[in-house]
Amino acid sequence: MRSWREHGRRRSSTNQPSLPGLFSGLKAHTDTKKTRSPSSPSEYALTLASARLGLVFLSFFLFFVLVSGRLALLSLGHEPAEAQPLHAASGTGSVTARSDMTDRNGTVLATSLPTMMLMADARKILDAQDAAKKLQTVLPTLNIAALTQELQTAKRFITLWRHLTPRQYYEINKMGIAGLEFIPDESRIYPAGAITSHVLGYTDTDNEGIAGLEKSQNERLQKQDEPLITTLDIRLQTVLHRELSQAIDTYKAIGGAGIIMDVSNGEILALVSLPDFNPQSAGAASDDSKFNRATLGVYEMGSTFKSFNTAMALDSGFIKVGERFDTTQPIVVGSKTIRDFHPAKHWMNVAEIFMESSNIGSARMASKIGTTQQRAFLARLGLTNKTPLELPEVGAPLVPSAANWRDTATMTIAFGHGLAVNAVQLCSAAASLLNGGLLVRPTLIKGSTDKATQENGSIRVISEKTSAQMRALMRLVVKHGTAKKAEVAGYLVGGKTGTADKITGKHYSQNARMSSFLGVFPASAPRYIVFALLDDPKGNAKTYGFATGGWTAAPVIGNVVSQIGPLLDMPPVDADVMAATEKQLLRPLGSDVIESLNLDDEADDYAAVESNRAH
Amino acid sequence: MSRLSSAEHMSLTDKFRLINWGLVVLIALIGLTGIALLYSSGGKSWEPWAAPQAIRFALGFCLMLGLALVDIRFWLRAAYPLFGFMFFLLIVVEIMGHVGMGAQRWINLGFFVLQPSELMKITLVLALAKYFHSLELDEMGRPAMLVPPLLMVMAPVGLVLLQPNLGTAMLLTLASGALFFVAGVRWWKFLIVIALTALVLPYAWHHLHDYQKDRLLTFIHPDSDPLGTGYNIIQSKIALGSGGVFGKGFGMGSQSQLQFLPEKHTDFIFVVLAEEFGMIGAVTLLALYFLLLVYGVMIALTSRSQFARLTAFGLTTSFFLYVFVNVAMVTGLIPVVGIPLPLVSYGGTAMMTLLIGCGVLLSISVHRDIRISRTGITEL
Repeated sequence: MRSWREHGRRRSSTNQPSLPGLFSGLKAHTDTKKTRSPSSPSEYALTLASARLGLVFLSFFLFFVLVSGRLALLSLGHEPAEAQPLHAASGTGSVTARSDMTDRNGTVLATSLPTMMLMADARKILDAQDAAKKLQTVLPTLNIAALTQELQTAKRFITLWRHLTPRQYYEINKMGIAGLEFIPDESRIYPAGAITSHVLGYTDTDNEGIAGLEKSQNERLQKQDEPLITTLDIRLQTVLHRELSQAIDTYKAIGGAGIIMDVSNGEILALVSLPDFNPQSAGAASDDSKFNRATLGVYEMGSTFKSFNTAMALDSGFIKVGERFDTTQPIVVGSKTIRDFHPAKHWMNVAEIFMESSNIGSARMASKIGTTQQRAFLARLGLTNKTPLELPEVGAPLVPSAANWRDTATMTIAFGHGLAVNAVQLCSAAASLLNGGLLVRPTLIKGSTDKATQENGSIRVISEKTSAQMRALMRLVVKHGTAKKAEVAGYLVGGKTGTADKITGKHYSQNARMSSFLGVFPASAPRYIVFALLDDPKGNAKTYGFATGGWTAAPVIGNVVSQIGPLLDMPPVDADVMAATEKQLLRPLGSDVIESLNLDDEADDYAAVESNRAH
Repeated sequence: MSRLSSAEHMSLTDKFRLINWGLVVLIALIGLTGIALLYSSGGKSWEPWAAPQAIRFALGFCLMLGLALVDIRFWLRAAYPLFGFMFFLLIVVEIMGHVGMGAQRWINLGFFVLQPSELMKITLVLALAKYFHSLELDEMGRPAMLVPPLLMVMAPVGLVLLQPNLGTAMLLTLASGALFFVAGVRWWKFLIVIALTALVLPYAWHHLHDYQKDRLLTFIHPDSDPLGTGYNIIQSKIALGSGGVFGKGFGMGSQSQLQFLPEKHTDFIFVVLAEEFGMIGAVTLLALYFLLLVYGVMIALTSRSQFARLTAFGLTTSFFLYVFVNVAMVTGLIPVVGIPLPLVSYGGTAMMTLLIGCGVLLSISVHRDIRISRTGITEL
């Protein structure tokens, strides 16, 4: 290796760039032969080049100084680096009859554009063929022959076109064809397209809402001028939509649903059902893509229901979190056998049963509490009645009749089989468990919960203490249990996985399932429920072939939380602060229980596989 | 002088020892920075960007070391043929772009996508350097002697403009302009060209594509359309600002991690760096680039032939222009043009071009003591 000093030495012996050379280009032509150094002409060219090269180099250097300065300015915040307010929708100046819908920040989600309807009075048309040809130049899809024929009849009202754009209106009007009439109408536009399709719904050609909020709020939208403010946050909706779509692709699921809900008041910030459709041409969409899996679909949710079972047990006062149940043997009730994938070799306490998602343990806990208590508890959480949500597409839960809801049903409902609910219902019940124990009602319209609580006051469903214990337990599931894939650096995510075999015909299918994850964050002081459900996901090499909630749905929640946290003014927290908060969070379980859980981090892949499988 | 005369007949091992290893290490450092940033912006994962980039960099790096051993007289001899060949390919893709293959401006060789406009940056420098090398200083004064090199620049630039690829055309023009200057073209001739350009600009404006106009207008008022064309600039400024002095830490940049920033792995990767490593990180990378330029300029200064000097300078300038245009764009100093950050941005073609350029530069460094007469015969 050679140093530059060496180069410099050699250079000085030959052609040192000299300052006169810099400007010699100006006069070189006249006096080169006289003044240039004793060396040859090519040496002179070299010298000139060196000098000018120095000059260019100087400009390079100045650039670096300039850019570094600019960087310093930006980094030190002298340049206004804050986001400009992006939302500029206002409720005034509407010229259309149907009012807009916006998200909670004022971003327009649905609006109407004034358009024109083109009518013809066939009796007044002078030259039908000429008129048809002319119209076809602006509206190329018109069939000249058919149109000519129609215009030759004696009909007084022929609808030729709905929703002419201003440009088309202008062009046709300019043609001056006698017998044409224009009647003002309007066209509904959804700027976010498919992303909000299942929530907003769509309208028919007469601008009457026929699905979603467009339908349920039809009257309101027609009568009032100011925009309808929904509880959606289009940023969160977009993130959830993207992550869920990706998971569906990755695991080749046939569909999915996702919800983000405010735990304090049940406001739904994001609600996604996939597949979805383009609301601009809803007629062309398939029935499956118009089926709202988040509200209309009712499913046996599987292990996420253990959250309710555990809360019920702890809140009853009859079962303590440290109490142990025999989970070593499958339970045989009637014709059914309740088993865990990997039966434990010891009796597990309530915390372990929840963390390891033991069906046997959950069933035993439910048996101890009893059928009547269980039914009352689930009813209090709103899981046995149709959810009062502002959408026409809400599926009523499938609840066993009183005659069928006996010991066996009590045990299976404990782990989420035998009772089917919709996803919104599940989320609002979970929100009620985790927000300190007060019942929330799910809503999609801003301001409606305030009204509801004013009228009814807050209804307590479980004690603050039980709520705190549930938060701790759900955190343990993510940190040490079946949902490690939902863990996100900087956020305390809690939750419960769920995997339920789908019913095909009259039997549970062995290889089709609903995999879900019911998440909450921050677990220490919950603000949001984040839920994802995948309909019939398939395992792949990266999941070792498993398609359970822990493998497929939990990562969706992890990805979503890491992206929406900062949007919701919750920057990631440092690891040491996290650890301290977490310690505080787990305290309600009691030190005995925490020690019994043996929470050493032996997070090798094998253990992860095993724990997911057990679930 | 024995060492100098032996320079003409160096064995490969001698040449290998003469390679400017300082420059090689510098290039490796910059390349590794890029791979690390792609690893981070891919969500701390080798897929989808870091692994392919690492493989390409390794291949290009070997190619570069191989090219460093090629004799400088080969470059001199091959300058015109290479230029001609690349010009031919430019015409070919131009025709193919219109006939059949969509708007495709490249040739897929399977392992590598050949974009003639990229490699033109190197061959044009070689051709111009050879031309000016063969001129006497007196001949330089004659305006007629400037016609051939001007044609050499304008023909490919015209083709590239047709593609339309404003960024590359600009880079080719500026690098050539700098070469003309260093070669000794008189000051007032530059003034004439600048004046002419100023006259032509309003006319050119009308012939820009709408999206190109948008970008220029957006630069002037980025806040006028914060969700549309101004989006990238605003997000990039937010990210730069949010990095602060020390940055948020590796993999922790929220703006860049959270997919607020489109093209974060290609043209806007500098933002990822500035956000995660702050002003300190950004200035450090700039310092590495500057050091690379110092090496390039020193190689030019210590070369003993005009050809070597001009080639080294031209390549260095091209490299600098990449850095200049990219960083100035990202920091909002100039409008958005699609120019990658050299050796750091994701993408194979630009990286290959740059590493080939570095290979030629290293070759000149190895052979800088060889003197070559105007006619191409070695002087001792």
